[in-house]
Amino acid sequence: MTKFLPALSVLIAVVATAVPWGLPADATFILPFVVVMMVFCWRAIPGTALHPAAAAGLGLLADVLSGGPLGYWALMCLIAATVGGKPASFRERRDAGIHWLIWAVLACLLGVFGWLLASLYYVRWIDWWPIAFGVATSIALFPLVLYGLLWVCYGRIGHSRRTLFRGAA
Amino acid sequence: MSKRGSPLFQRHRPSWTAPVELLSFALYFLCAVLLVLSRIGHGAISDVRDGLVDLSAPLLEMASVPAVEARRVTDRLRLHLRLHTSAVEEVDRLKKENEELKQWKWRTQLLERKVAHLRKLLHASEEPALVYASGRVIVDARGPFVRSALINLGRKDGLRIGYAVINGEGLIGRTVEAGNAVARVLLLNDLNSRIPVLVGPNGARALALGDNSDELQLGFLQDGATIYPGDAVYTSGSGGVLPRGLSIGVITGEQGAYKVRPNAQLNALNAVSVLFYDAPALTRTDPPVVTNRGGVLSSAPQAASHEDRTAAGDIAPRLPIAAMSPPGEGQAQAER
Repeated sequence: MTKFLPALSVLIAVVATAVPWGLPADATFILPFVVVMMVFCWRAIPGTALHPAAAAGLGLLADVLSGGPLGYWALMCLIAATVGGKPASFRERRDAGIHWLIWAVLACLLGVFGWLLASLYYVRWIDWWPIAFGVATSIALFPLVLYGLLWVCYGRIGHSRRTLFRGAA
Repeated sequence: MSKRGSPLFQRHRPSWTAPVELLSFALYFLCAVLLVLSRIGHGAISDVRDGLVDLSAPLLEMASVPAVEARRVTDRLRLHLRLHTSAVEEVDRLKKENEELKQWKWRTQLLERKVAHLRKLLHASEEPALVYASGRVIVDARGPFVRSALINLGRKDGLRIGYAVINGEGLIGRTVEAGNAVARVLLLNDLNSRIPVLVGPNGARALALGDNSDELQLGFLQDGATIYPGDAVYTSGSGGVLPRGLSIGVITGEQGAYKVRPNAQLNALNAVSVLFYDAPALTRTDPPVVTNRGGVLSSAPQAASHEDRTAAGDIAPRLPIAAMSPPGEGQAQAER
């Protein structure tokens, strides 16, 4: 696997986020959250390397393409990269369910943080529903994205404890 | 000796961890700075953003093709399903709609003749044609903060900031950033969108305010104005930024909580047109008498070169309600 694969796959996801899919207004948060989730997964999957600077850069690209304030999605990606790469918590022998749970908690926190940040930025309460919908959808999509990235990474679906988790070998 | 303190169980800490943590901290700080700069609207941020969007335009245009095709296929599938389930009803509906459109066409032609006749009687001045250019949405930039879209028209096509953007259904927004090959359109339902409008047959003045939802709020409605659900909403032209009379939507809701439902489907935009309309107040030049003197009070250029697109020529549209003509007939536009 080339070491640029994680960054390349996230870049494709960022571009896909900007493409006019014609999604309803409530679904505008789903694709950006998938990008953040991919950053988290790539940082958590052993044997892969997505540098925090690359994660922030890709988030910044998402900001540029979305026309929103620069630094918003960069910050989200950076937080996901930091949590995803925490050596003390994720490099142990864990189950995918734990990762899912951690992502669920992180996504909820990111959602609340993002909503507060957006409200602070515009000095008014932003509609929370699209953010909540995006968070819920990203939590539901987590196994799909995790196993999808594993397939991209190792060429097969289905986890092996030897390869999936850091330090398990 | 405790178990925790045993070197056997101590985690190996790579030597590069500290620099990475330092870098992460620096990145967090950078993000915060960028957010603040973005909030205060620093000029450098806009320039960098425009440059990056211009650079990525070809890639985005290429990437948008599958999405547009997928939407087209989905629409066709829906149509096929609808035809399959209720073909006879669909044909009847289309026939009825066609008949109605034919009647409208006839009435429009009649009204056009009447208007032309009345204008002739009143010796009304001819309204200049409204120049426009058509393009396609290549990026659907609808995030938590903004409802905007990138279109594949830019300064090289004569586009400037502030121009109205329409599709077949009505006004969709206005240009807020213009690169060389692409421009960003702020949609009607964006938080920052404020459009002066006229409502209903009496033309009650109000503001259509975007709030990132599908419908627009109606604010600053003039005192004593009587409006009803279903009333048409169109641009008033106040402020001279947008042309007067562009269709926006219809009134929905109840008294005290009226909203505007846009005619255009802002979630699914594809082909759009940009109206090259410059406010007369912004493009006004001094009268020839003043200009020819060349005194210190004269602000008009002595001679406008062909490359100078900031000069407002005679063909610059002044009144918006007019027959449209495609670009190419002259696009001397004013820089805002």
